[in-house]
Amino acid sequence: MATQAHSLSYSGCNFLRQRLVLSTLSGRPVKIRKIRARDDNPGLRDFEASFIRLLDKVTNGSRIEINQTGTTLYYQPGLLYGGSLEHDCSVLRGIGYYLESLLCLAPFMKHPLRIVLRGVTNDQVDPSVDVLKATALPLLKQFGIDGESFELKVVRRGMPPGGGGEVFFSCPVRKILKPIQLIDPGKIKRIRGMAYSVRVSPQMANRIVDSARSILNKFLPDIYIYTDHMKGINSGKSPGFGLSLVAETTNGTFLSAELASNPQGQGAAMLPEDLGRNCARLLLEEIYRGGCVDSTNQSLALLLMTLGQQDVSKVLLGPLSPYTIEFLRHLKSFFQIMFKIETKPCGEELKGGDKVLMTCVGIGFSNLSKTLK
Amino acid sequence: METKDQKKHRKKNSGPKAEKKKKRHLQDLQLGDEEDARKRNPKAFAVQSAVRMARSFHRTQDLKTKKHHIPVVDRTPLEPPPIVVVVMGPPKVGKSTLIQCLIRNFTRQKLTEIRGPVTIVSGKKRRLTIIECGCDINMMIDLAKVADLVLMLIDASFGFEMETFEFLNICQVHGFPKIMGVLTHLDSFKHNKQLKKTKKRLKHRFWTEVYPGAKLFYLSGMVHGEYQNQEIHNLGRFITVMKFRPLTWQTSHPYILADRMEDLTNPEDIRTNNKCDRKVSLYGYLRGAHLKNKSQVHIPGVGDFAVSDVSFLPDPCALPEQQKKRCLNEKEKLVYAPLSGVGGVLYDKDAVYVDLGGSHGFQESEEVRPTHELVQSLISTHSTIDAKMASSRVTLFTDSKPLGSEDIDNQGQWMPKEEKQVDLKTGRVRRKAIFGDEEEDESGDSDDEDDEMSEGDRLENSCSDDETEEGPDAEVTDKQYMSRKGIKRQKLEMEEDFEVDLPAFADSDDDLERSSVEEEAEEADESSEEEDSTAEEERDILESKAVREGGKPELLQTDDSSDSLNMEKSLTRKKATFTTSDSGHCTAEEAFASEDEPEGNSSLSTEEEDSENEEAIRKKFPKPQVVSSQKLGSGNLIDETSDIEDLLKEEEDYKEENNYSTETSGALKWKEDLSRKAAEAFLRQQQITPNLRKLIYGTVTEDNEEEDGDNGEELGGLFRVSQPASECKHKADSLDCSRFHVEAPHDWDLEEVMNSIRDCFVTGKWEEDKDAAKILAEDEELYGDFEDLETGDVHKGKPGPDTQIEDVEEEIKEEIDPSAEESAKKKHLEKKRKLKEMFDAEYDEGESTYFDDLKGEMQKQAQLNRAEFEDQDDEARVQYEGFRPGMYVRIEIENVPCEFVLNFDPHYPIILGGLGNSEGNVGYVQMRLKKHRWYKKILKFQTIPLYYIEDHNGRQRLLKYTPQHMHCGATFWGPITPQGTGFLAVQSVSGNMPDFRIAATGVVLDLDKSIKIVKKLKLTGFPYKIFKNTSFIKGMFNSALEVAKFEGAVIRTVSGIRGQIKKALRAPEGAFRATFEDKLLMSDIVFMRTWYPVSVPAFYNPVTSLLKPIGEKDTWSGMRTTGQLRLAHGIKLKANKDSLYKPIVRQKKHFNSLHIPKALQKALPFKSKPKTQAKAGKTPKDRVRPAVIREPHERKILALLDALSTVHSEKMKKAKEQRHLHNKEHFKMKQKEEEEKLKRQKDLRKKLYRIQGQKERRNQKSSLKGPEEQLK
Repeated sequence: MATQAHSLSYSGCNFLRQRLVLSTLSGRPVKIRKIRARDDNPGLRDFEASFIRLLDKVTNGSRIEINQTGTTLYYQPGLLYGGSLEHDCSVLRGIGYYLESLLCLAPFMKHPLRIVLRGVTNDQVDPSVDVLKATALPLLKQFGIDGESFELKVVRRGMPPGGGGEVFFSCPVRKILKPIQLIDPGKIKRIRGMAYSVRVSPQMANRIVDSARSILNKFLPDIYIYTDHMKGINSGKSPGFGLSLVAETTNGTFLSAELASNPQGQGAAMLPEDLGRNCARLLLEEIYRGGCVDSTNQSLALLLMTLGQQDVSKVLLGPLSPYTIEFLRHLKSFFQIMFKIETKPCGEELKGGDKVLMTCVGIGFSNLSKTLK
Repeated sequence: METKDQKKHRKKNSGPKAEKKKKRHLQDLQLGDEEDARKRNPKAFAVQSAVRMARSFHRTQDLKTKKHHIPVVDRTPLEPPPIVVVVMGPPKVGKSTLIQCLIRNFTRQKLTEIRGPVTIVSGKKRRLTIIECGCDINMMIDLAKVADLVLMLIDASFGFEMETFEFLNICQVHGFPKIMGVLTHLDSFKHNKQLKKTKKRLKHRFWTEVYPGAKLFYLSGMVHGEYQNQEIHNLGRFITVMKFRPLTWQTSHPYILADRMEDLTNPEDIRTNNKCDRKVSLYGYLRGAHLKNKSQVHIPGVGDFAVSDVSFLPDPCALPEQQKKRCLNEKEKLVYAPLSGVGGVLYDKDAVYVDLGGSHGFQESEEVRPTHELVQSLISTHSTIDAKMASSRVTLFTDSKPLGSEDIDNQGQWMPKEEKQVDLKTGRVRRKAIFGDEEEDESGDSDDEDDEMSEGDRLENSCSDDETEEGPDAEVTDKQYMSRKGIKRQKLEMEEDFEVDLPAFADSDDDLERSSVEEEAEEADESSEEEDSTAEEERDILESKAVREGGKPELLQTDDSSDSLNMEKSLTRKKATFTTSDSGHCTAEEAFASEDEPEGNSSLSTEEEDSENEEAIRKKFPKPQVVSSQKLGSGNLIDETSDIEDLLKEEEDYKEENNYSTETSGALKWKEDLSRKAAEAFLRQQQITPNLRKLIYGTVTEDNEEEDGDNGEELGGLFRVSQPASECKHKADSLDCSRFHVEAPHDWDLEEVMNSIRDCFVTGKWEEDKDAAKILAEDEELYGDFEDLETGDVHKGKPGPDTQIEDVEEEIKEEIDPSAEESAKKKHLEKKRKLKEMFDAEYDEGESTYFDDLKGEMQKQAQLNRAEFEDQDDEARVQYEGFRPGMYVRIEIENVPCEFVLNFDPHYPIILGGLGNSEGNVGYVQMRLKKHRWYKKILKFQTIPLYYIEDHNGRQRLLKYTPQHMHCGATFWGPITPQGTGFLAVQSVSGNMPDFRIAATGVVLDLDKSIKIVKKLKLTGFPYKIFKNTSFIKGMFNSALEVAKFEGAVIRTVSGIRGQIKKALRAPEGAFRATFEDKLLMSDIVFMRTWYPVSVPAFYNPVTSLLKPIGEKDTWSGMRTTGQLRLAHGIKLKANKDSLYKPIVRQKKHFNSLHIPKALQKALPFKSKPKTQAKAGKTPKDRVRPAVIREPHERKILALLDALSTVHSEKMKKAKEQRHLHNKEHFKMKQKEEEEKLKRQKDLRKKLYRIQGQKERRNQKSSLKGPEEQLK
């Protein structure tokens, strides 16, 4: 007479990843209805289907039911399994779309996750692999997820629409997470970046670097932007270029910004100089928002705080993104956890906009998949 | 005369003076302390052996590290829940008496009947929940989970009983709470010596089970049917001062030992269907971890349930307020046991209880018992009358069915033998545990008892003063006080109830929502003012006003039940809603939706946007308002919508917390009232919680709630308007992306914009305490003054700018301004602190180890945990961290089986164990299991778990039987339980089990949704055609397809010839060709070893013993064994003839002799040739030698020669002996001479050296004296 944990039900395809990831972690089944029900092309898209397949790969014993039209999805999570895997991501979204969720799940597998993801490494919609590598990995390290096997490697670079990129991600497993107290972001001591170009002239990257530096040099002398020009099979199937910038502070906070060129055949051609300048401005915008966690990784940080021991965790964030706000609501419905939210007005200091201090007591989550030896 | 009165001077024997004297005396004797000894005799303290030194060092380090525990964050709450004291023991050992005595000891009250847990205040900082545990194994298992302290009662006159050991083992599995043994029935011993011996024997046995030195308490005898006061007092003291180690399971899960149960089911439902599922509320102290609302709980004996509501109540048995007094006031000695009908008079939201003059009302009720009882039973009605009737004839422990005495063979020496003993008086069957080695233990000394007794004495002394304070007169006043207090409380709570009327949380939420809406409304107003409101907007507002008027009567109707105050509030709320809705947005959700709009779907026309707005408005309104809002929507202009969008963005930047509210109130007359209220609400809100919280949690409604009701409008009554891009849908199906796009980028070329983040960089300005230049200056200030010792220069530090100013100030003000002085003082203190910090850091650098660091970290975390929510009130706190342990909570649970209420027995504990995430799910649980060494049988494959063992290659191979003395793996389908959790197995929980009931124990290792346990499967076949090394095998498979699956697989004959499957053959179906390393025989059997995965049946049947009728609760049986089934149905086991064992008759094997062909023999080398010795033939005549025959003369000579030689040899023998003797003597003599010689030489040498020494000394003396003599 095992009573299944009562399932949660949602409608619409938005925040699908959040819901499925939280469902997997909390063990509560989830039902999502009316996925693009009124759309001309109803049901789940290719990239979502690919994401569900990925979830099926990393878990053991999940039950996934999708109705004929693909407008209703029922997901009963199994236990996270991990191991060595490969996955072909849809080229409609970047690898970042998949990787973000994997970052949430990877520390709680039975076997350490070693996965090869193929698809689009850099695009204009999702956080690119470079940015996640530069910001999310150090964030996870703050929670005690660390070790030799913790790495994210861009093997091949693939731009939309063709894709053809390849990423290797491996993550060790942990039984419990450490609580964090990230209250002081510190001051930015260096800015690093990666200007990449594939299947275009290598000079593009250099042009990006110059223009980006022209803006950032007004603030800081320690700027180094690497150029990465991949050739042959490593350059994917479509041409493109872009820039990702990361600002590192004295206390180990990483803030990032990125821009990529328009995909081939879509929109007007972009000048690399413009791209560099705009990206630099985006970084300044991100710095203006501030906080101890990058705006893309807010939800990741909050999730890992929630999954900590029954201790107080604190983190200072910039303004909450809509995605994060919805994530907080989801956290409440899945884990019954509420964050204490205090706004910290900027005041007189010249440190950008208002900040938000998020405080919570962890739920005492422990990795139920990990084998005891 | 006076001299006689005077005392003689007595020497001081202790104190500083005496010590000083002693020291002096020792110094006189050249016997100092150790330091002195070191100086005197350095050799004794020198390193004698490096190896031994290393060893001793290792040992000390080992001892040191052994003391270390992994540091954990201390999460005990400031006001901890009462400690659960489980009083356990076999029947008739005196459990109830002990509990009664303990309660009387702590509270001066006498409870005649105890049912369920009793909570008492035992000290200033400690409360106890005492509960009795019988011998029902379910109860034992449940209570071992929640126990903090176990009082294990042992009948000394009888000895240990099986229940004691079973309970000990259960405790061990659950993490071992503190265990204290209590020996009772000690007065039945007539002879003191025997008593001592028994005590000693029992104690040592107890120690082997618990830990050496475990506390064992002796209750010597009864006085008037009660234990002796002093002994109980001592026991109480022990309990109150005891310290506890946190247990992993208990600290990681919330749990409640319920002390009160109420049925909340609608009486009408019960009337229509007596068996309907019930809604119950359970009360108790929350222990362990934080409990979240709406989480899942498991009630052992009932099942898993989702909590429908949790609320915390005022503590019914609160600790006294802080005071300086040493002991408790009489009125603070509370007792709370609602199941027994004591105290616990509460005023809840759904029940009324009358306080009967406090906890002391009970004491005087001895005479007026009957009436009182009646009233009380009426008051504490927790269950229906039926249940009451049923519970009125509770029998506590039914005697287990007498079983026929069996022959029990003892497996090991350590194992207790169970011996059924039947009490002659009562006919009770007792399960005595007898040990083989008991007799040996009996001899020995008795010093152990003595020290324990003295301990007791010490306690006695320490507590005597406590007792003296308690007087009868105090009691009287307390009683009066209590009664008054009770009335007051009642009144107070009445008021509260009147005001609140709603569940606590719902109310608070409501409040939040209300205020947030108001605030938002206000915000919108403010923003509209900023955006120099256009004419259209004003018109809109007016329109909305009209709408509001229309809405009012409706509202009045709906809110008729609430009181006037409430009504007013709700009215204002509605008003606010309307005003906001006209400006196009209200909740955060909508704001974000419209925000997403431009990026997600830029092609969306403004008209569509318009309709979205409309949608938003409509959602806010109840149905009747739809028409008007539609009008409003159609009236909107395109540019207005864009205006609204601007507003939205404005609002998204929540930093604009408006301070204009008061100004606007003056300017805009038409909404004066509203804005004032809003301002008030806002201010209140500002104080309580920030705005963002409501943006996220407050006003959000679940998506699915919004779905219905949007198709309300109809066109011409026939068609419904289908709006594909309705706002909610749009939001629900928009792009799923975590990036936070910049809405309104700053212009980073402007100087002021650039300056706004200047300080984010290391190049910017630093904080006071971190600025490098400042720190440097301060350092100089600290270390400014120094003197160069070499040159003798004195460097004076420059007085810092601030100190200079200070000096000047001081000169000017000259202590007129105390604040300046204070600041100076503060600065001085700061300086000192910094210096000290620096010194500490320098000094402690080498000392801190990894362990210390870790401990420090944990401590810091614990402090932070405590401090974080300290200043918040409980209502808010509960939302953030959940209900914290120590709170008295009320939990509502729905859909409880009716038997739980109908068959409620307060003697059985009700435990609510909170389940962690996904702990409510089921899956395969893998464990490490070991059969209990005292369990008689080995466990077989017919049990629920499957046993397996892991091979070297990681294969998990099924076992049919558990190993006798070894761990093995076990898997079953059951609830997901965290790794590392202990478990135990019993064959049956029903009461009539003989022998030791615990079958196995172990620990959970792994959880999974699939298993890979395999069992060996041998497929056999027979050769039907044999070539050289190739054979055709048949009978192993049924088809060629099967063969194809196993191509290349390894096969073997029973005789050990290895081979491989090659290919299927056509002729007999399933036959194949195989090659072997040697030629087979037709008689060979070929087999292939394969592994076949086994499946664990997905069968999970939790115990539901609490649903059994009263008195039968210990008879729950999950399933019967096949043996029991067979017995019940009278089916005889048909033995398979082939499986019977028969004596093996082996034929004597006859081997033929080895025959080597002649040709081969010839070819063999000599070594290998068969060496068959040919028989020796007759010696020829010429070879045979003749016999010699002597003459008589010759014979004589021979005889003489013989005789002579004999004589000679004898002579020689004698001579040899003589010579040997001589030699010996000679050797002795020589030795003597040598010794003498040596002695002489030694003497001589001695003399010589003495002379030499004298000479030397003389020389030395003369050389020392030399100069002195010269001086003279």
